[in-house]
Amino acid sequence: MKEKSNKYLTVAILIGLAFHGTSIFFTLEETYDALTHLFFADHYANSWFEPWNYKWYTGFTVMSYPPLVHQAIAAFSFIGGLKFGLFTIAIISVILFITGVYRFSLLITSNKAIADYAAILSIFSSSFVETLHLFGQLPSIIGISILMHALPEIYLWLKTGKYRYLFTSLSLIAVTVTSHHVTPIFGMVFFVFPLIGMVIMDVSREQVDSVKAITIRVFLNSFFKLFKRIISFGMSSLVIIIGCILPYWINSKNNPITQVPIPHGSRDNFLEITSSGLVFFLIPWGVLLILLPYIFYRYYSKRYLFFGLSITILFILGTGGTTFIPKFMLGETAYNILTLDRFTLWASIMSLPLFGEFTYRFAQGDLKTLIQDKFGAIYHRTIGGMLAGLFVFMTVFTMSLGYFRPSQPQQIKTLPIVNFLNQDQHDQWRYMTLGFGDQMAWLSAQTNALSVDGNYHSARRLPELTTRPIERLENSKFKGLEGIGSLQQFLTTPEKYHLKYIFSNDKFYDPILYFCGWQRLPQLENGIQVWEKLNVPPISSILPKEDVATWQKLFWGIIPFLTVIIAFILNIQWLWIRALKAKIRTIPDYLNFENNYGSFSKRLLKTTHIWSVFLAVTLCYGIYKFYIKNDAHHSPENTILAYYDALDFKEFKKAHNLINPESNMSIAQYMLEVSVTDGLLNSYAKLDAIDTKVTHKTDSLATIKVNTNWITPLEKISKTNYKSLIKLNGKWYIQPEDIDLDLPPDQLYSDNSTGYFNQGRRRITTEQTHHEDVLKQPVLEILSAKLIKRDNSYALIGEIQNIDNVPADVVLNGTLYNDDDKELAAFNAKYHVKHKLLPKEVTSFKINFEGIAWSKIQDSIPKTFNPDEFTPIEFSEQPTKFNLQVAGNVSGSDLYKKATISDLNISSEVISGKLFNSGLEEITIPQLLITYYDENKNMIWVDHLFLEEGIRQQRQQAFEYLLLKDNNINIITDDMENCFVNGLPNEDISNKIVPNRIKNQTHVALQTIDHPNYKFIKIETNSYIGNSN
Amino acid sequence: MTLKPTYLLIIALVFLSFTSSVDESIINDDIQLLTTETEFEAGSTIGLTFSTTNASKPNLYLSNSYGSTILKPHLENSILNYQLPKTFSNKTGMVNWKLLSDNTALSGKFNIHSKQDVSSMETYLGPPSIEAGETDYTMLVVIPTDIYDNPLKDSTAVSVKHQFLENESKDVIYMKNSISYKNIYSESKTGRILISSECLSKNSKEYDVNIMPAIPTDFTITYNRNHEYADGNQITSFSTSIIKDKYDNIVSDGTYVDFFITNASNHILKTSGITINGIAKAKMIHPDHKENWTVKAFIEGMSESDSISLIYKQAVLDFQVAFSEDNRTISVGPLKSFMNQMIPDGLEVKLHIYQNDKKTKTLFKSAFEGYTSFKLNSNIFPKNVYTFKIETAGIQKTYQNIKL
Repeated sequence: MKEKSNKYLTVAILIGLAFHGTSIFFTLEETYDALTHLFFADHYANSWFEPWNYKWYTGFTVMSYPPLVHQAIAAFSFIGGLKFGLFTIAIISVILFITGVYRFSLLITSNKAIADYAAILSIFSSSFVETLHLFGQLPSIIGISILMHALPEIYLWLKTGKYRYLFTSLSLIAVTVTSHHVTPIFGMVFFVFPLIGMVIMDVSREQVDSVKAITIRVFLNSFFKLFKRIISFGMSSLVIIIGCILPYWINSKNNPITQVPIPHGSRDNFLEITSSGLVFFLIPWGVLLILLPYIFYRYYSKRYLFFGLSITILFILGTGGTTFIPKFMLGETAYNILTLDRFTLWASIMSLPLFGEFTYRFAQGDLKTLIQDKFGAIYHRTIGGMLAGLFVFMTVFTMSLGYFRPSQPQQIKTLPIVNFLNQDQHDQWRYMTLGFGDQMAWLSAQTNALSVDGNYHSARRLPELTTRPIERLENSKFKGLEGIGSLQQFLTTPEKYHLKYIFSNDKFYDPILYFCGWQRLPQLENGIQVWEKLNVPPISSILPKEDVATWQKLFWGIIPFLTVIIAFILNIQWLWIRALKAKIRTIPDYLNFENNYGSFSKRLLKTTHIWSVFLAVTLCYGIYKFYIKNDAHHSPENTILAYYDALDFKEFKKAHNLINPESNMSIAQYMLEVSVTDGLLNSYAKLDAIDTKVTHKTDSLATIKVNTNWITPLEKISKTNYKSLIKLNGKWYIQPEDIDLDLPPDQLYSDNSTGYFNQGRRRITTEQTHHEDVLKQPVLEILSAKLIKRDNSYALIGEIQNIDNVPADVVLNGTLYNDDDKELAAFNAKYHVKHKLLPKEVTSFKINFEGIAWSKIQDSIPKTFNPDEFTPIEFSEQPTKFNLQVAGNVSGSDLYKKATISDLNISSEVISGKLFNSGLEEITIPQLLITYYDENKNMIWVDHLFLEEGIRQQRQQAFEYLLLKDNNINIITDDMENCFVNGLPNEDISNKIVPNRIKNQTHVALQTIDHPNYKFIKIETNSYIGNSN
Repeated sequence: MTLKPTYLLIIALVFLSFTSSVDESIINDDIQLLTTETEFEAGSTIGLTFSTTNASKPNLYLSNSYGSTILKPHLENSILNYQLPKTFSNKTGMVNWKLLSDNTALSGKFNIHSKQDVSSMETYLGPPSIEAGETDYTMLVVIPTDIYDNPLKDSTAVSVKHQFLENESKDVIYMKNSISYKNIYSESKTGRILISSECLSKNSKEYDVNIMPAIPTDFTITYNRNHEYADGNQITSFSTSIIKDKYDNIVSDGTYVDFFITNASNHILKTSGITINGIAKAKMIHPDHKENWTVKAFIEGMSESDSISLIYKQAVLDFQVAFSEDNRTISVGPLKSFMNQMIPDGLEVKLHIYQNDKKTKTLFKSAFEGYTSFKLNSNIFPKNVYTFKIETAGIQKTYQNIKL
């Protein structure tokens, strides 16, 4: 018998290559994972046999992820660069997937026409499109594709017992496991076990006359007959799975993942969080949802019974947190580590053969006849057109999702950053990116500089990171308050990590950087803002690493590629015969079990119809609910929600459309008013929660109390507003609010100021900075310092003065000791200090001793974490002494001191007043530092207040500060023996420069307050300028 | 680090080969040192010669402060010649040697001194800025070195020259313990000292030290304003006299001066200024009600100003309040300033609303063209009896029991 060329499969591959091969260039780089895989590939390209990577997380081992795909990209990168490698592997994965689906379908259905259909359908399958073009999970795709290639070989081994099939199947399993570890483990359960069941069924079938005659007894007989083969296969594949990536398992055992689980959309309740439902359920299932009755019906037929069970479990596991069942089935730990979307992916892939089968029967088989007989040809065509249309729509929709809802920030040109890190020895410090999304992985791949952050959260090692449910510091604003809290710790104590440079692509983080003592460098040409911290020592040239045995390194570098080579050699014969028709080959056993597609079950058709109608109704209802929820004018609550949503996303035109049109506020006027309001709340806040309560409502008027929670980089802000709404022509609108009418006194005014410039290295040289170019560290003096205990936390407070003649950047580091001089804790001053001091300027300071929040993983994470609050460090012993190290460095930036206190009203509970901006810059975030004194004018506490709104030039801004109520403040010690400035004893400096200091000179100017515990306060101002003129 | 065992191995092998060769031959040594010199100049060819009576070639062990080595001899006419490698002959200091021969225990030492010819002047100066007042100083360290980077001999004279304003001076210091140094004290004036050094006709490059002003002394302050009315809409600016240190130097630009303003109700307002040419200027907006300010400026812990008083006269003397028919619109105005002109926009008008003698809410509005009005939303203020207190420019008006 001469075998015909398999035209449809060839066509499928060609279409697949054309479709995916062109589109990956526009999608793959914007996916979640692709760039991370690229980073790993870069690692192998540079050091194939050395698993330790210094670039992320202060070092981690790449043995925490199977290496094959990364090594393959690395190998191709030697030819045409990393991205060439990435795209090549992606294209190879497309070919493997299509051919894999073909072989799997042929195995299941024993019908070449159906397998052809399945192969063509697989190209456009929405789950595959999503995994490749939206998630970029190359190892996962390659893993499952190779597994599908392995399945026919496994079948043949079990059925025929020919050893060559055992070897081919094991060789393919080895490739699977070296590309993705989870795939073969679960693949064994969900694909191979049902396949074994099917083989036993087939063997049983051969022993009896009909399918019906297969009883449990016959089944068991066959099972025992095949038992040896099953066991031998099972054991040897277990050996392969463990053996091929042995270093991975050793590493997992030595460094178990003890992290706080990171929330993942696939574990959400899909009914509550519809966006997760869309991405992790609707899209991967796509048009297959309509065919669910068919798929279950077919898979629950006797031959496929085990596939039926398998796909049911997969289906349920894929529903994530919608029901309790997945959590119950997997157990708490596995549930929290695994992302559940993969189950849906496997279920949809498992459905592909039956999708092909259905299409075949619908297009040219019994189903066509049945429908045409029953409903007529026109109905058949209409239905066909609708299904095809829906299928194509799902594909296009999935493909373009990344375009309409980008998961990544706009592509950043990394070259200026790479150049910045390479020049002037900037790569001798660690860096961090903010707001780069997954592009940070691409940046890391291009530079030799090291980052504190990383993009592979399983490898995180710093307890500051592993105890938080955040993937990266990079996007911490999306992780709510835990994220910001974690970031703040890194920004406050950057010396610990040698972190000196931050590249910010999101101005959201600017205020926290400023208030933690960072300063801006000129913007790079790609618009990235570089922030720098002074007084950070460079990384030592020898860094610690966790070394592994040489055999492991060799194993890791050699085995994965070896599995590919072996698999290639073992399977080449098949390829040769298949592709080139070199020899007439025997028909594989599984083709003997062809189904009879004679009569499509009428009941099944009816069920499918009912199910489709049900789906359609659900969909319509969903769309209706969606419309009602999103129709901004439908109800007062909707209007308010839409308004705040628009403001949050800075869609001012949309917000303006919700303003009462009869109020005659033009969009121009509205935009003007919005544009002049700056400040923490208007420019740096993200809406976290909104709650509306109608306090009064008539037919045409309503008043709504709006409680909003905002996350800002500095602290959480809760606001309550009352909004009036009016109904016009059946639509609700918001009444506009009054604007500030204050006119500043001067139209044009001038101001003189002193500017500073530090040349740095005066000579252009790559040598170390010349001795004479090194500036003297400005001399500071610690005027007072004391250790305070308030409730259960400890703090260092005091005052420092810049007694030099140049402006100084101030870094304060406090360490606490017990009576036995044992170090208990060390921390830096965060934002309870003015970090930049002019000559002779004084600032109060406070150092809070923060522990690593929730350092015990089992500690429950507070639901309402406030970044302003902190986790006080747990002291096992009583701190009694302190050491305070103050370092000054010359800095000419952020020296704006023009915020003045222009009005004050003091009651026993609250201080209200006004700040006046007398200078030339707009103050974006004003901060007040409030120092408390007791009746003897002893300083006892330092507090702060961030004003929510900015202050424009020559304007005033009201503030209100609630005085502290408690009096649990105890001074532990005010012994200043261990106070040092720039490494020298404070007292010596004080005696030398200001020998005749007038002690407590400004105590006469302390503000008296009427308070039971505190008698005086001092208010200092500090201002963050967002956009310098 | 990994090379160390290799070296040890090689040395061990050398020893082994040497001892084995010694074993083989019957030695009857009579080796005498021929070289008599014990003082050499760095960079010259230095060798040790010995006379010998047989053909054995013992190695020479050599050690200086940089390290040790073993030399092989060159035997010619019964003269053993050991030539020092450049790495030894270029460096100054004591060199110890020992002949590694079993029979003869010959050892000795010689000195290599630097070439008295300056190739470069290694100079360190710090700190780069000092305080005026003749007590603070900076230290200049000069190390003249020869072509092989050896410091010159002790007692070599180095002259240090420095210039400050009209004065130029030259001092001679001497090398001691391989360095020469001098403390340069500040003068009482601020400015820049230029420093250079010279040794054996070789001149260093120019170095400089800045003398910064010492801590400031007391000063006076003045104020300036456009008018004396409390209209809340003009700027009063304060400025200091030229602030100087005790040597009459103007304090450095950027010196921070705090101005504390104590008002009539004993609240302390605050503004600040930064000096330029010794004068710090600070600004403050006028109050919107009559005030009496006492102003004093400080440079914390170091100096302070005299205290001055300012009086602000009431600008808005009275205002009218009008209620609409349903009492839900309250108009305030006209608000007239001192020449009966309408007060500039932005004057704050407060409406305190009391219900049953309890303050329920305060509304804020700004005057616009001399007027402002409050509209009371019936959703927020349901029908009831309220007391309104209207406050602006320090004047309060109360309206009891108004029915809404």
